[in-house]
Amino acid sequence: MKQTQNESHTAVIELRHVDKFFGSLHVLKDISLSVQKGEVLVIIGPSGSGKSTLCRTINRLEGIDAGEIIIDGVPMPEEGKELANLRAQIGMVFQSFNLFSHRTILDNVCLAPMDVLKVPRKEAREKALSLLERVGVQDQAHKVPAQLSGGQQQRVAIARALAMNPKAILFDEPTSALDPEMIGEVLDVMTELAREGMTMVIVTHEMNFAKNVADRVIFMDAGSILEEGKPEDFFAAPKTQRARDFLGKL
Amino acid sequence: MSISELLTEYGDKYVQALFTTWQLTAVSFLLALLIGIVITVMRISPVLPLRMAADFYVQIFRNIPGAALLILLVYALPYLNVVLSYYMCVLIATTLIPSAFCSEYLIAGMNTIGPGQIEAARSLGMTFLQIIRNVILPQAVRSSVLPMTNLLVATMLTTALASQVPLNPRDLTGIVSYINTHAVGGVTAFVISAALYAGTAVLIGQLGSLLDRKVRILR
Amino acid sequence: MMREENKRGSRTTSIIDVLYEAPGPKARRKIRAATIVSMAVLLCLLVLIILQFYKNGQLDPRYWSIFLRKTTWTFLGEGLLGTVKAALGASLVSFGIAMLLMLWRISSRKILRGISVTLIEFTRGIPTLLFIYFFFLLAPQFGLKLPAYWKITLPVAISACGVVAEVLRSGVQSVPRGQWEAAMSLGMRWGSMFFKVIFPQAFRYVIPALISEIVIVLKDTTFAYVVNYADMMQNARVLISNYDALLSVHLVVAVIYILINYVLNKISVAAADGRNGKGKR
Repeated sequence: MKQTQNESHTAVIELRHVDKFFGSLHVLKDISLSVQKGEVLVIIGPSGSGKSTLCRTINRLEGIDAGEIIIDGVPMPEEGKELANLRAQIGMVFQSFNLFSHRTILDNVCLAPMDVLKVPRKEAREKALSLLERVGVQDQAHKVPAQLSGGQQQRVAIARALAMNPKAILFDEPTSALDPEMIGEVLDVMTELAREGMTMVIVTHEMNFAKNVADRVIFMDAGSILEEGKPEDFFAAPKTQRARDFLGKL
Repeated sequence: MSISELLTEYGDKYVQALFTTWQLTAVSFLLALLIGIVITVMRISPVLPLRMAADFYVQIFRNIPGAALLILLVYALPYLNVVLSYYMCVLIATTLIPSAFCSEYLIAGMNTIGPGQIEAARSLGMTFLQIIRNVILPQAVRSSVLPMTNLLVATMLTTALASQVPLNPRDLTGIVSYINTHAVGGVTAFVISAALYAGTAVLIGQLGSLLDRKVRILR
Repeated sequence: MMREENKRGSRTTSIIDVLYEAPGPKARRKIRAATIVSMAVLLCLLVLIILQFYKNGQLDPRYWSIFLRKTTWTFLGEGLLGTVKAALGASLVSFGIAMLLMLWRISSRKILRGISVTLIEFTRGIPTLLFIYFFFLLAPQFGLKLPAYWKITLPVAISACGVVAEVLRSGVQSVPRGQWEAAMSLGMRWGSMFFKVIFPQAFRYVIPALISEIVIVLKDTTFAYVVNYADMMQNARVLISNYDALLSVHLVVAVIYILINYVLNKISVAAADGRNGKGKR
């Protein structure tokens, strides 16, 4: 089952010739990319460009119609326990936080480690508390999600993803649902994570953040990757007209 | 007839009637809950024939008048060589109708859960059964308290169908017509039954909202 | 008898749409197997039922050919007209009483509110049949001689009015506070403020719930046989005694009721969708 981990598989995430359709709409066109360990990859592009879909195919929240997705040398299984196991290794942070509304903040962070990884309760709680402290919401541990601000909820969602010791974390427009004054607190946590060497794939509209934190930027339009490069190069001199238009509109 | 006269003569029968109504309500409700859960699981299953059959079931029993169903059970089934006791006929009618509504409420309860929570659970590596156990069931159950309270009251109201067949002991509605055909019980008999029904309904309502306040999920 | 709520509002994806992932090959195989097995079981069940009809001679044309006659349908149609008349009458009376109860319920006078709450709770917790017996057995004892139409219409109306009152109140509460304030700032008196500004908006909001309530009223009118009012159920009984076709007639009548209520519920859902759709834009 497991593929041999030779040199070509040092990438944590690798996509090979991925195609996806929504009905007759070709939303991902022959996408190939790889994310190295410790790399921060930022995906930008106009809405409807397929960047969110791309992010969601990485842990197969969206199925693909052709191509291959390889996580740390292991091809993504299509279903079942194997798929769940692989997903447990990749964290995800959503636009709308998606905390479990019936559980306390602490339980939100402990639940998956205890139920999926079978971490003992005491250990899971201690780890959760330290993660909550790290993202700055330790005081809210015993509240339920609805009692927290959006920024706080998103930071809890990051802690929840971190609690699984993921090999990488996917961020699907993590600040798009936030009020402007809360965006900063979430981006700060993400910047900190990037500094610590977390492998991250981030779909975002925050160009300043992309400039400062990304190791590499991908520009997508109409389901294809049009440009790929270092942020300083891309933002200073985009090669395609589409990218120039996109950046000009901001 | 005064209350005291009525109670001396029919007191025992009233106690029996109240008990009959309560018992019928409780049994029907529990059975309806059970069937409602099974039907709901079928309705959300990925198996098309099961979905269609369960949807059909819900549409039938949600829309059939209680009297029409009871008549089919009591008078029509014997023509198919299926003869049930009067009690069974009533019990079936007062179970099937609430079971359809039970399923509707459960689906509505599930729909209060944000779909994103399922995706979040999936991204954390939970399997289908883990998602059901950790995310869907606890939330669906907790947001179903008020609808289920209403269902319990509605089931009690449905059990008045028992008055349409000869049952011994009678239910709270049946006893009013019984007293009025045997004596001039007048308004008193009606008022006692009405008060017992309404009292039960208010009691159920109070307990329901008490429980709901305890388990309600902030959204 | 059962209360129906319109909870299907939003058109956004519901949890049921995301419950299952896009199935992989193993899942697809399982689903296909389950589909075949369940289809077979359901077909067997259907065959068994039809066989049971056949064995007991209930498929005999004489039981079903009566539905080819125009007179049968005319007669059932007359009954249906009776049902519709009773349901409409009960709905209107119920709406009238409910309006009063709702106005008391939101009044600033404590006594009126108390009376209203008591009456609403009382009517919501008592089965329709008990009210029917009240008008059928008890009212005559006070010399109140009502025609059969009112003997079924009034109890059904009373039985429904508590719920209708609460529905109307929820509608009034859904009207934004600013509408009251705007009307007040124009110097309108309470009466014209309520009936010209607030209530029309509230009414539009509760139309779906009111349609659902008509279903309950329609179902309750099937007890018309208790008071000898000629509704569809009662006319079905006459048909049965004429043709000795109990099973087929009752079955057909039940299906007619189910279809009518099904359509009414669909209209209610469509009205709710329309309302929510309009609110969003």
